[in-house]
This record gives sequence, structure tokens and C-alpha cells, in this order.
Amino acid sequence: MNSKRFSPTSSTIKSRFTRRFLRALLKINRQRTRTPSSPMEICQRYLKVKLAADVSMASAVGSRRAWSRAMLAKIRHGVRTGSMCSLTMMRKRKIYHRKKSTKEVGIVGNAKVLRKLVPGGEAMDTCSLLDETFHYIKCLSTQVKVMTRIADQICST
Amino acid sequence: MEKENMTQPNWASSTFGMEIQPNELNYAPDQLTNCFFNPNWDNSVDQSDPFESALSSIVSSPAASNAGAIPGGGGDGLMIRELIGRLGSICNSGDISPQNYIAGHNNNNNSTNTSCYSTPLNSPPKLKLSMMDSQIRGNLPIPGNHPSLAPFSPDPGFAERAARFSCFVSNTSCMGLNETELPYRLMPRVESGRLSRAASNQSLKLATGSQMGVQENNRSSPQEANLAADKKLSRLSRSSTPENTELGDSREGSSVSEQIPGGEVSNKVDTETKGRKRKSIPRGKAKETFSLTTPSAKDSKAALDNDESNAKRSKQDEDAGNEKDTAKGKTEPKTAGDVNQKQNKDNSKPAEPPKDYIHVRARRGQATDSHSLAERVRREKISERMKFLQDLVPGCNKVTGKAVMLDEIINYVQSLQRQVEFLSMKLSTVNPRMDLNMDALLSKDIFQSRGALPHTLYPIDSAMPTFPFGYQHQQVPSLHSSIANGTENQFPVNSLNAALRRNPSAQLPPIDGFGEATPEVSALWEDDLQSVVQMAFGQNKQQSFHGSMAAAQMKVEL
Repeated sequence: MNSKRFSPTSSTIKSRFTRRFLRALLKINRQRTRTPSSPMEICQRYLKVKLAADVSMASAVGSRRAWSRAMLAKIRHGVRTGSMCSLTMMRKRKIYHRKKSTKEVGIVGNAKVLRKLVPGGEAMDTCSLLDETFHYIKCLSTQVKVMTRIADQICST
Repeated sequence: MEKENMTQPNWASSTFGMEIQPNELNYAPDQLTNCFFNPNWDNSVDQSDPFESALSSIVSSPAASNAGAIPGGGGDGLMIRELIGRLGSICNSGDISPQNYIAGHNNNNNSTNTSCYSTPLNSPPKLKLSMMDSQIRGNLPIPGNHPSLAPFSPDPGFAERAARFSCFVSNTSCMGLNETELPYRLMPRVESGRLSRAASNQSLKLATGSQMGVQENNRSSPQEANLAADKKLSRLSRSSTPENTELGDSREGSSVSEQIPGGEVSNKVDTETKGRKRKSIPRGKAKETFSLTTPSAKDSKAALDNDESNAKRSKQDEDAGNEKDTAKGKTEPKTAGDVNQKQNKDNSKPAEPPKDYIHVRARRGQATDSHSLAERVRREKISERMKFLQDLVPGCNKVTGKAVMLDEIINYVQSLQRQVEFLSMKLSTVNPRMDLNMDALLSKDIFQSRGALPHTLYPIDSAMPTFPFGYQHQQVPSLHSSIANGTENQFPVNSLNAALRRNPSAQLPPIDGFGEATPEVSALWEDDLQSVVQMAFGQNKQQSFHGSMAAAQMKVEL
């Protein structure tokens, strides 16, 4: 059963994501300088890795789900406006954390928060938002598992 | 392992695009063939479809009465033909190929399954059951509608349902449903060859449904068993419209067959003709009866999935005529009390997509105006999805209420996103020696990730008891509180160091030498990363992100 599942020809979301992410990681690592990295370099590399993770996840899912389409669109938009966009995005997210403490109660309030979390969630009705959240959670957990595994393998070797 | 995915509720695979579902379904065909091709279906109750076993009880009664009247093959064939005849008297329109209703031919070959499910739903077949019925009665082919069928308006969808029903009956009695043999036998017979080719999926679903529904069958009356079968079938028929149609048809058939002996067919047919696609509102009542018979988690899931399937189907065609349907719901108000009738009218008619609309039947004692009906539909959909999300998010089984549930979901999504961030941070700081074994990594990951991942997790858990790995093992509320009370102070790196040093493990060999590098790294981090890390470290004794450990590791590897 395992061999059938994990054969190279089978293309689950997990395997597709793994392949793409590893390829991206390789590419990023090739850009490393031989000299010890400065912290700023590390930060930038971190951002690249994160972007690679998001992109590979979204492209592994494809256009089937609204959240992956929205994520890909956002990334493309971000690429076009330059890498500084990511820094502003992160600052915005920090502000978002502060706002959350104002406690929007109820289902509607929570749904609003969820919309911000799930990519592309702004333009969805609650029903499809929950659908997308379900799929998004599944893909996120897959992503976490794969990345954990990669990290463990790299660190252990 | 995808085991956790397999235990997930069976979301409509097409709707959610989960590859995990097809994997699960891939394994079922083997079970299915075993299930359906058991020659001693009476003995193998555990494997047979509850639908079929319910039908068997019905089949046996007419067979006993009409044993001598019907010419043809063996007793099973007589039963089947009698049933089909009765069915035919109900549905007098549409084509159902005769191919599936061989009497007396025990061809237990694989074609049984496929022939049953091979009807393409796009063709609205003209049901010639009337002719079949008459043939049963007297071997006299009667063209057109039988006079006794006059009161019943044609329903092509019902033909398919009857076809499916007969197919099940045939399967039950292990009649050979060989397409090639039928033509000479019963020309105007039900044309189950036209059944959809979503065979494998559907057979799988029936198999899984049969597994679940068997117990109910043993204990409950045939009526309840029918309900169970209906529920199972409806649960299984989630994923695509054709499949839904098929199973809905079969459910119709089952409920119809139950009433055939009673002669109360007119009611059924009226509801049939009025409803192409229905949401079974009284499903709520059925849910209760259902759970009464077998209090298992699967029942609720079946009910959920039943709702889910209806929700999905209605979602597809909602815009088409919701208003019309709710108006229709008005006109057929209180038949909801009849559990048998309402059960699963969720057949969408793929042959006539523009006419599809949702039939929402008002529950007993509830408002029937269109607004409240539509709202109820919407609420039911949302609650279905919330239930599925509840299964997905760990630690949400005890949570009741949508608001709290949404809170948990939000927390979980945030934690997953943060985990991804931390992992990417960790990966970005790793030494470039990964280049050497990247290919090995690639193959190893894909092949072993499922099996090996738990192993990699456990050592970390055992080694670092104060830092439970990942969000999944943590208390949700505590995490939530940590997010809410995120401190902006300089995080206590030294305490973290001490904690880590207390639990040396093979996983973190270079812990000892990382304290010096920490301050300068922390000073240069992005602001929000810092805040997140601070939150984690603020609670480092009770719960920890995986990220906190990852952060420590990252500093180490600088």
C-alpha cells in the first residue's frame, strides 16, 4: 500500500508540494554566499523560503480552490510591486494582531477574522468560506508536516 | 499517513478537490467486489448492502405470493421481476434497460457491478417499465403506457432510480446482470446499462455504506433499514451529481418498494413528480431515528454527509430557482411527518440542468415562507461544514457552538501559518550541505514522509517534555490566551536557554554554544517575528510552538 501511494507517478498534493518546495529550496541555497551570512541575509532568505513554501503549496493545489487562486494572484502582485511589498505586508499583519484584541464577538466577527486569514476569503460567503478553510487547513497541515520532515532530515544529517 | 485523512469525513471529493479522497476510494473496489459477489448473500450480511438486505425482505414477500404466476427463471428472478413490475407500475416513463434484470442467471462476474452503474445520466431514458410490468403479468408486451399507469406522470429520473433499485435487488440475489443476456429475455426491461459510469466510486460508497449500515439492518425493522440504507446511500452519493442522482433514485426505489405492498403509491408519485431535486428537510427527524438505532459516530456522519450531499447539490443549482422551490415547499407543507417519503429526494437531474432547483420541504411545525426556508437551508449548510471542520481541527470535539468553534478554527489556522513561518526560518538558516543530499531528500521525503514523520516527532517529544511539539498537542485555550496576551518585552532568552540545557537531546546537539549569538540575532529580526517569538517564549513552560524550538535551533546553526 505504501509503495502504491508514494510512487513517483502518484501526484497527491503532498508529493507535488514536496517536489516543488525542495526544488525551490535548492535554488535558494545555491544563491547562498560562501561567507558567513549576515542576519539581514538570513532574514531575506527566510522570506524567500516562506514565499517558496506558499507558492509551491498554492501551485500544488492549482486553480481548483479559491484560496490557492487568491494566493497565487497575491504573490504575483507582490512580485510585480517588488520585494518591499512583503515587508509592508508583515507590518500590516502586526497591526492586524493588535486590532484583533478588540474582540469582535459572534459568528460574524469570527468569520471576518477568518476571512483575513484565509487567502481570498474576503470575497466569499460564509458557506464557501468554511469550505475553503477546510481545504486550507488540510493543505497547511500537509505543508507543516513536509517542512518539518525536511528540516529534521537536513538538521540531522 | 493518510490514515488521518481517511478517517476524515467523506467530503465530496469533487467539491473539495481533495486528492486524499480518491486515494481512499482507490482501495474500496477490492472490498466492493468481495461485497457484491458473495454468492451467499443471505449469510454474508456483514458485507451486503443494507439496502439489498432490506430489499430482500420485500422481495421475499411478493415472491411468496406470486411464485407460480410469473414465468421465467428461478425464484429470485421471479421476485425481482415482480418487484420490477411493481416498480414499473409506479414509474411509467423513461428507459431502463432490461439488461440488468436477468432472472435465474447467476453470472457472478464483474460485469454485475459495472452494468448496474453504466447508465450515462445525460440521456433521459424513457422508462419502459410499463411494458416490462405487463410482460411480467402475462408476457404480453404493451406499447406505450400501461393503462394502470395513467395516474402517474412520467419521471425519467425515477426510471433511473428504479433501475438502480432493481440493480441492487439483482445484486442482492446474485443474479447475473449481464448486459448481453438480457436483450433476448426482456426487451423492454429496465435499462440499467444507462446507469452512470461513476461505477467504481459508487460501488465503493455502497460498500462502505453497507459496512456501516449492516448493524442497523440486523436490529431494526426493514423500514428503518431502508432509512439506514437511504442514509448510507445518500451519504455516499455526495461527490457528484450523477452519482447523487443514482443513489437518490435508488433510495426512492427503496421507499417506493416499501409502499408497493401497501398500495400507497400515489403519494409517492406525486412527490416524485413534484421534486426533481430536493433537500430532505425532515432529514432531521430521520437523523434522530437513525441515531436511535445505532448510536455510533458514523451515523451522525452519515446524516451529516446526507445533509452535506444535499447541500452540495442544492448549492450547485441554487440560483436557478430557489424561489420556485420554496414556493413549492409551501404547497407541500406537512408531509414531513412521513419519514419514509421525504427521505432522500435529492436527485438532481443532469439531463435538465437549467430546470434544477432545490426543493425545500418545510419541517413539521416550522415556518413555510420562502425566506425562512432559504435561511434554514443556508444555516444547515453552514452547520454541516462546521461539523466537518470540527473533525479536522484537533481538540474541538467538546466545543459546542459556532462562535467558539470559529475561534478554535482561527487559532488553528494561525498556528499552522506560524508553524510554516518558523519552519521556513529554520530551513533558511540551515547549512548548505543540504545540496549534497537533496535528491536523496526528495525521494526519501516522498516515499517515507508518512511513515517516518511520527518517528521524527516522537523523539523530539520525549526529549523535550517542556516543549511539546507543535500546536496539535497543546491546549487550545491556552494558546489563544497567549496570543491575546502577547507581551512585547524582551523575551527571556536566558530562561529558554536554561530550559533547553536542562533537556539535552540528540536533536539539539549544538545547544550549548548558542547563547552568545542570540542577542544580536534577535535584535535584527523583523518586528512581528519577534512579537510572535516573544509570545511563544512568554509561555514556554506550559506550551510552546514548534517554532520556539526551531528558533533556538536556528540561532544555534548560525
